[in-house]
Amino acid sequence: MLDTALAFDNVTMRFGGPGNAGRLVLEDISFQLAPGDIVSLAGRSGTGKSTLLHLAAGITLPTAGSIRLAGRDLAQLDESRRTTLRRLHLGLVFQFFHLLPHLSVLENILLPGWIAGHKDAALNERAAALLGRVGLAGRVGDPVAQLSGGEMQRVAICRALVLSPALILADEPTGSLDEKTGRQVMDLLLELVRSEGCSLLYVTHSRELAGLADRRWRLHDGHLEPEVPE
Amino acid sequence: MIRLWWRSLARSLRSGRTLFLLAVLGVALGVASVVAIQTLNQGALGAFDGSVRAVSGRADLTVLGLTPAFPETLLVPTLADPAVEAAWGLCRVDAAVDGVEGLLLDMVGVDLLAPVGLPLEATLGAADPGDAQAGILAAMVTPGWVAVTPELAANQGWAVGDAIEVSSGSRTAPLVIGALVDFRTLDPMAPPNLAVMDIAQVQGLLARPGLLHQIDIRLRPGTDTEAAAARLGVALGPGVTVVTPEQRQQDTRSLLAAFRLNLTALSLISVFVGVFLVLSSVQASLTIRRREFGILRCIGATPLQVRALILAEVGVLGLAGIMVGIPLGYAMALANLQTVSGTLTNIYVLDGISNLTLTPGVVLLGAAVGLCGALAGALWPAVEISRRDPLVLLAPVNLHEQVSRIAFRLSAVAALAAIAATAWFAWAGSRTNYGGFIYGGIMMLALPLVVPLVISLTAGSARPRGIGPALCLRNLAVRRQASTLAVSALAVTVSMLVGVTLLVAGFRSTLISWLDVTVRADIYVSSKSWARAGPEATLDSDLLAGLRSWPGVAAVEEQRRMHLYTADRRFRIWLNGIKVADIPGAELATRLPLKKGAPEAVAAGLEHGEILIGEPLAQKARLDIGDTLVLSGPSGPLRYRVAGIAYDYTSEGGTAFVTMPTLQKSFPGEPTSNAALFLEPGADQDDLLRDLRAAYSDRPLVLRSNADLRREVLAIFDQTFAVTGTLRTLALIIACLGVALNLLVQARERAGELGLLRSLGATRRQIFGLFVGEGLGVGILGLGLGLVGGIGLAALLIVFVNRQWFGWTIRPAWAGQDLAQQAVIILLAVVLAAVVPAWKAGQADPLTLTRDDL
Repeated sequence: MLDTALAFDNVTMRFGGPGNAGRLVLEDISFQLAPGDIVSLAGRSGTGKSTLLHLAAGITLPTAGSIRLAGRDLAQLDESRRTTLRRLHLGLVFQFFHLLPHLSVLENILLPGWIAGHKDAALNERAAALLGRVGLAGRVGDPVAQLSGGEMQRVAICRALVLSPALILADEPTGSLDEKTGRQVMDLLLELVRSEGCSLLYVTHSRELAGLADRRWRLHDGHLEPEVPE
Repeated sequence: MIRLWWRSLARSLRSGRTLFLLAVLGVALGVASVVAIQTLNQGALGAFDGSVRAVSGRADLTVLGLTPAFPETLLVPTLADPAVEAAWGLCRVDAAVDGVEGLLLDMVGVDLLAPVGLPLEATLGAADPGDAQAGILAAMVTPGWVAVTPELAANQGWAVGDAIEVSSGSRTAPLVIGALVDFRTLDPMAPPNLAVMDIAQVQGLLARPGLLHQIDIRLRPGTDTEAAAARLGVALGPGVTVVTPEQRQQDTRSLLAAFRLNLTALSLISVFVGVFLVLSSVQASLTIRRREFGILRCIGATPLQVRALILAEVGVLGLAGIMVGIPLGYAMALANLQTVSGTLTNIYVLDGISNLTLTPGVVLLGAAVGLCGALAGALWPAVEISRRDPLVLLAPVNLHEQVSRIAFRLSAVAALAAIAATAWFAWAGSRTNYGGFIYGGIMMLALPLVVPLVISLTAGSARPRGIGPALCLRNLAVRRQASTLAVSALAVTVSMLVGVTLLVAGFRSTLISWLDVTVRADIYVSSKSWARAGPEATLDSDLLAGLRSWPGVAAVEEQRRMHLYTADRRFRIWLNGIKVADIPGAELATRLPLKKGAPEAVAAGLEHGEILIGEPLAQKARLDIGDTLVLSGPSGPLRYRVAGIAYDYTSEGGTAFVTMPTLQKSFPGEPTSNAALFLEPGADQDDLLRDLRAAYSDRPLVLRSNADLRREVLAIFDQTFAVTGTLRTLALIIACLGVALNLLVQARERAGELGLLRSLGATRRQIFGLFVGEGLGVGILGLGLGLVGGIGLAALLIVFVNRQWFGWTIRPAWAGQDLAQQAVIILLAVVLAAVVPAWKAGQADPLTLTRDDL
């Protein structure tokens, strides 16, 4: 087992221009996430939280510095290999769920498995088990359009976990939900992540939800700094 | 509103350039197919009309023989009519030019001093008007003097004073180019192979002295043309007919009606398919711009204004398509000129098309088709979006839902339309001229209506187990509206492809079986000018005697072929007098496959002066065994009892067979047109053919082996259908553009979904595969539906349309290999069409996921 699930080393990110001409979003960010770490990330809008997650997922590459995911330096991998790495080691949870409306609940959860080429019954069993753990065992074949927001996010969490990734990146996973439902979904996510033993880096604006993490970070003026609980 | 329209158009062009271009291309190809076919149709008619106007432009009436030729003594009673100001006889011969393969001169023998109105005088007297008369007199006394067109002379490298040799039948004649006369000054469509000679020289050298083929008449001013024609008809007797130039043109139009109608119907399929392309494009564009329309509606634009805005934009699209389509269609017509011209000369024995003109009528038709097609394609999406609630337009809704909801209703409408059309066709439609086309058209229109249901039943039930075929099908089912348009366009195209392929295959195999039975001689002898089968293209008796006595030849069959009218003038048929070879198995009744009648009875009937008629004639003239066929003869009606009906594929107009003695009774002394040699057992066909060719190398003969003749017949057959290949290819291109357009739209509309898949780890190759798979899915569904539609269309074409319009029995043949080949081509074309959209989809960026996506 690797010592670190994700490591940023002096990562800087600029947008909109070559070299140092672009707008600075992240500057000299360094951190490590060990297996099982649960970290929240806060910050005002536009401070680069989503950018940091995109960098972590290998969707974009930093202007400077290096990022290691599952022990591999993302800058050394071509786009295709970064995609494969993301598929094998990452689970993503989005604020707006992003479930495919033409697939059923179960099919949405199986989607990462399909992409990875898994067709075995074990994957189906795991998806069904995850659904059971989030309280949606009876909704396996339902169209996702029939689900409530909270239910959709629970399906999205199952989808993120179905291939047992080492790290979950969640971008405001409760941002589209009311406070009560958001809290329930967050509790469920944390419970599952802990029981699966994977790491979690999640973005949230809620101090309460941020407080549920093992560590709390905040992005401010492009710098990452520990957030001090009030 | 106009400023808004302009801005909206500019924006739509900027943001959806590819969509716009594909739709323009769809309209352009539809317009091109119509323009090409109509230009060729006009060219076919124009070639004949041009010839008539160039030769008989000054004539108010023309006397034509109901038999191959008539005596020139008929000029006397013609001139005796008080209404006739002038009349001149014409002797017309199709003469093959020695040393130039396939070139036949349309020789017009005329009294050069008659007021024919040919531009001879202008040419001969170009330098000095006084020279004209002297030149004409010199032309009359110079042996072989002929005037040809400057165009032909330039093509052949001839100049005034050059000697050429021509032949009519087995006779040859040396000619000298006496003048270059441009008949296009009389009519721009005048054929370039017109040649003028003194009538006496034509009769003496290439035809028969004392016989004419035509008399042109100029009436006195103020004469009642119809009354004069009727009076002359009576005065000249039963062997001729007196017609106006308009009636001659009308005859040609009737002769070509079926040919022209079939090509027009095929070209309209491309327009129909093009409408789907416009529909797809407009639908996609409106889906992308729905919020824009929502805002317009919210701030007070009426549904009518929105509709007008959309239709005006589509009008621009249509205009662009027209501007590309018309020149493209003309270019396509030029590309197909040779094949269609070949069909006219080989099948209809008409002048080939020498030049094509893009007439204002065709341009207007192309413009109307393009504009109406584009507006028809846009109407439904425009009405649909203009009627929607503004708030619905502003919301990120899925416009594909509607087709999903009404899939069953559309299919029910299709089923009802099909049942009603079938009932109408069975009850009344099949008895009308255009019933088959209307029925086929309705069924083609109904086909797209069942597509949503078929997609639901097939693709909708797909259970994905991975990023594979089932997921591709599911995606098609989810986007049913777009899929329906692409599948429909392909299904209609495949229907046409399959229908025409099965028709052609059935026809070809029937023809081959027929040739096996009828073409039994070993060697066929005809003259070089036989291609046009002119009445003067005959074989000399000494030649025939030589062939009969040639070592190794067991027997010679002789045939006289004549173009005759039925007594009621409704049909012009080929009457064949056959002098059957005296060997077992050559008898007509056993050699021509009989549709009706026992061979022994038919043989006995023929011996007793009865007639064996071909199926097309029996069908069109509604004749049966025992009925009487009445033909116009030189001195009155000729009555023949029908002994039997034979399958016959030699002519669409009608064919009949009598024994040579029967023919000679009515047409004494008519020479033989061609001959067929049956060899003695053991004689080597190749050696004999080689020896004959060597022995008759100085004669304008065409000697063909049995295999050569079959090959040529099939080559003519293939040439006749070659133009349908162009139309089929066009329709397939349009349908494939539809698939490409559909997938391009998908790549754009589904940016969010693709972004998600990429976020979840889908590689570009996987997305590419997914899209190609969806393209393939459209291809397979279109192919399946098209196969069903095509088999139905083929049945309609073979059983009904062909029988009604042409009168041939075609035995269906399952062209498995051809169809499999086409299926592979179609699927490859569809996959090819999917490559660019799939590549674009593969470029989807995970960062494109936004809050509105999915």
